[in-house]
Amino acid sequence: MTRRPGVLAAGLTALVGALCLLLQDTAPFLFAFPKTWTIPTTDWVGSVLETILGAIKPAMRWFSWLIAYPMDGLNAVLNGLPWPVLIGAVTALGWHLGGLRLALLGLAGFGFVLLSGYWSESMNTLALVAVSVPLAMIFGGTIGILANEAPRLRNPLLGVLDAMQTIPTFAYLTPLLLLFGFGPVVGLVASAIYAAPPMARNMLLGLERIDSEVKEAAIMSGATRAQQLFQVEIPTARHQIMVGVNQCLMAALSMVIIAAVIGGFDDIGWEVLLTMRKAQFGQALLAGLVIVLFAIVIDRLSAAMARDRKRFNSRISFVIFGIGLVAGAALYLTANTTPPTGLLGPVAEMVDEWLSRFTVVNATLMDDIKNTSMFYGLLPLRIGLDDAVLPFTWGFQWTKAMSLVLFGISALTCTALIWLGKPVVGLLFLIGMGLLETGITNLPWPFFLTAIGSLAWVASGRKLAILSVCLLVTILVSGLWERALLSLYLSGAAVLTCTAFGGVLGVVSANSTVVWRLLRPVCDLLQTIPLFVFLIPVLMFFQIGEFSAFLAICAYAIVPMIRYTRHGIVTTPPEMIEAATANGATTWQILRDIRLPYAAPSILLGLNQTILYAFAMLVIAALVGTTGLGQSIYLALGQADVGLGVSAGAAMAILAFIADRLVQSFAEDRRKALGL
Amino acid sequence: MTTTPAITAEDLWQVFGPDPLTAFRRAQSDASSPEDIARVLDASGHIPAVRGVSFDVAPGELFVIMGLSGSGKSTVVRGLSRLLQPTSGAVRLYGEDILAASKSRMNALRRNKIGMVFQHFGLFPHMTVIDNVAYPLKVARVSQKERYARVRPVLEMLGLQGRDTAYPRELSGGQRQRVGIARSLAGDCSIWFLDEPFSALDPLIRRQLQDEFLTIRKRLNTTIVFITHDITEALKLADRIAIMRDGQIVQIGTPAEIVLNPVDDYVRDFARDVARGRHARVGSIMRNDLRDIPGDTPGLNPDMTLEDALAFCVERYDPVPVRDPAGQVLGHVYPHDLAKALQAEKA
Repeated sequence: MTRRPGVLAAGLTALVGALCLLLQDTAPFLFAFPKTWTIPTTDWVGSVLETILGAIKPAMRWFSWLIAYPMDGLNAVLNGLPWPVLIGAVTALGWHLGGLRLALLGLAGFGFVLLSGYWSESMNTLALVAVSVPLAMIFGGTIGILANEAPRLRNPLLGVLDAMQTIPTFAYLTPLLLLFGFGPVVGLVASAIYAAPPMARNMLLGLERIDSEVKEAAIMSGATRAQQLFQVEIPTARHQIMVGVNQCLMAALSMVIIAAVIGGFDDIGWEVLLTMRKAQFGQALLAGLVIVLFAIVIDRLSAAMARDRKRFNSRISFVIFGIGLVAGAALYLTANTTPPTGLLGPVAEMVDEWLSRFTVVNATLMDDIKNTSMFYGLLPLRIGLDDAVLPFTWGFQWTKAMSLVLFGISALTCTALIWLGKPVVGLLFLIGMGLLETGITNLPWPFFLTAIGSLAWVASGRKLAILSVCLLVTILVSGLWERALLSLYLSGAAVLTCTAFGGVLGVVSANSTVVWRLLRPVCDLLQTIPLFVFLIPVLMFFQIGEFSAFLAICAYAIVPMIRYTRHGIVTTPPEMIEAATANGATTWQILRDIRLPYAAPSILLGLNQTILYAFAMLVIAALVGTTGLGQSIYLALGQADVGLGVSAGAAMAILAFIADRLVQSFAEDRRKALGL
Repeated sequence: MTTTPAITAEDLWQVFGPDPLTAFRRAQSDASSPEDIARVLDASGHIPAVRGVSFDVAPGELFVIMGLSGSGKSTVVRGLSRLLQPTSGAVRLYGEDILAASKSRMNALRRNKIGMVFQHFGLFPHMTVIDNVAYPLKVARVSQKERYARVRPVLEMLGLQGRDTAYPRELSGGQRQRVGIARSLAGDCSIWFLDEPFSALDPLIRRQLQDEFLTIRKRLNTTIVFITHDITEALKLADRIAIMRDGQIVQIGTPAEIVLNPVDDYVRDFARDVARGRHARVGSIMRNDLRDIPGDTPGLNPDMTLEDALAFCVERYDPVPVRDPAGQVLGHVYPHDLAKALQAEKA
């Protein structure tokens, strides 16, 4: 990376920040963007969208009517089948794909579902997934093939896929709600939209990665284009495509459960939401566990399908399925088809009681944890030291003099660092202290625009800088600015925490196989669980509020940081480490001088994923009480306010987009510097 | 030539870049010699990978195109098979202009006339050996029973019997290329393109497959274009060799011509590493005086390699007669000529 633009950018940012602080009293509009300057874009977006939606509504209603048939049919079949048949089928499939291990997983997973007493709700969810996944696969697969066949369409289509994945899930529930009306079809269509991009991406990736000689061999065999595609290319890419199917399944399941918030369908997501609202955490936990087991079984089975291992004896599969069939028939003949209800109900109640007792007994401890993190961590970050430090919490009042002293010390440190030849570090330190004093939500908008513009300029160049600033200005003038900053603060706090803890955990697990062996299943589990379920445990202990949301975001977003950090460090070429050892470097020196710099691009990619995960979870976390864009999107859903929902969703997508491009560019720079 | 050549390439150009066709037409109007056209194309950001290549291949001939990587040899064969559409020029197979052929005509040609073997085999990973080999028949809609029956002899010829239900990933490199060769022969091809077929194999397997290849070739009598970067392989297999550099053909000739009369330093550099004695023939250094010198004759004939000839006349100072099988004198080899030819490579 070049040094000069860094100094220039940091200097400019610091200068704008200082100017804004100086003019604080004379020009308050620098801090709070005046309402009179905003344009009612949300209303415009709303009316335009409503016109469009109104125009295509009849067609969509017709589609809704059409799709209801397979869904109702499947629903009736799944609910009507005696439960042993389905459990037998899943176990038999598990055996066929992965032998005893997967067979037991299938049996235990679906057995738990049965015992939990949520069998029929689970079947409703399964029916939704089973209809939406084929839709998503056809839709996504077609997009992938199209992008492969017509190179001119490739980039626009990839852009559409990006948008489909970054726009928060709740945001497109609102227009869908208007189109399809209340009912399960909204969840179905939403999950098909949400699950299509991974399918499309993997289809395209698979087709593009085929060895060119294999394609040429098909041509030279005299195959037509259709024969090439369907007889050679798609079968050759099947592993990548199956990875797509796996991701597609998981995304669809996650979305079906999220879509439960609009209600109207008696599925397992709705059950979780309902029990959570009634504060029956034992039951919520049980229903949440059902979802988790569902997710694990579906994930492991479909992942096994993507691997090209030897299949297990199909005769045993037939026997297992046969046992299920016979047992099912027996139940049917004895007219005993309704699944046993609530065998685990008493357990749930016990857990519930224990939980209530636990939270009552440990109420002070919980409050202490929550208040300490809020008062000394989150609040200063949100509103700055000058507002957060009060006699009531910190024991003293923050004064103007303290601000001056803080700035004085920062300026001195900065000067010292510049003198030592580290101008960028010094200026960044100064900016950081200013940020801490002011708080993210109180940042003056000229400073924020300059800071992001400069960052983008350093990271990538003029093009990204201009694009980022323009996009941010649209948020600014649309009147969503304050909410955007609130969202930024919460996800920023979560990302910082995840980076610190996840980075350390990653480094530790790179150096100790024991730690990694313990941590890995936890990471796997956290990535398999649908977003929604994260809310249950945090709610149990910390009630509704910002802190719970913060914890839920951290729990979900920390995983990529751990994984990528570890991966980057572990993949350092051994000859580099051997060379360093031969030069007499200690373990710590090797880590600091060789492994971490080498892992930098990978760690940056982890940071990128962590940021995107945090944004995705932010919207879901609105359910347990956050302010900001997430809340707006959620509220818009309740009021069927398309303009607000889509605008706020777009604002979130803009923030995610800018963060993504910034970090990606830095990672790319590092990779180039290392010659990778 | 009186008979129609099996393959004709005429002033073939292959240009890569943003807009090859327009760029080439413009360059052609600005310059005349291939070098100048290439320079103009280069300047406009285009890459002229093949620059005005022309040659004929006679029916049944084994024509080797040799060059270093990046010399354009693989691109030429992709133009001949129309895997790439050449930017300019003509390709004729038995007189038929295939660059103008329709898609369905091209597919028919590929199913029945043209076979191609690839460097990294290009096998379909999801098909068994027999399905790989029979694929050209499958796309021609031959029934499964018939296509299996038709490819069995081919599998046997390549020693693949008993492996027909194996998948490519279960085979060794040599066996994989046998499958690749079998597939290219499934349609009874009369024109055979081989793109560095043995380069990815280890030396022992390579030699074994080269020998088998020569046997198959003798049996089938197809016309062959064989691409390689290995001069020893080229000299061993070829009827004629074309040496390529920077997209152009530098020299076309028989192995002996290439070894003994390289046109420039580039070709000479290739030939330097080759033991000439093993590739040049007695005929190439024989003087045509038909005197019959009395005395014992060691029995040289014109097709002997120089190395073999040396063994016969290592202790002689006089000219040695060369006779045809009937004993008729064809000419004489002077020992100092022989020594000079063998020494030249040491220089």
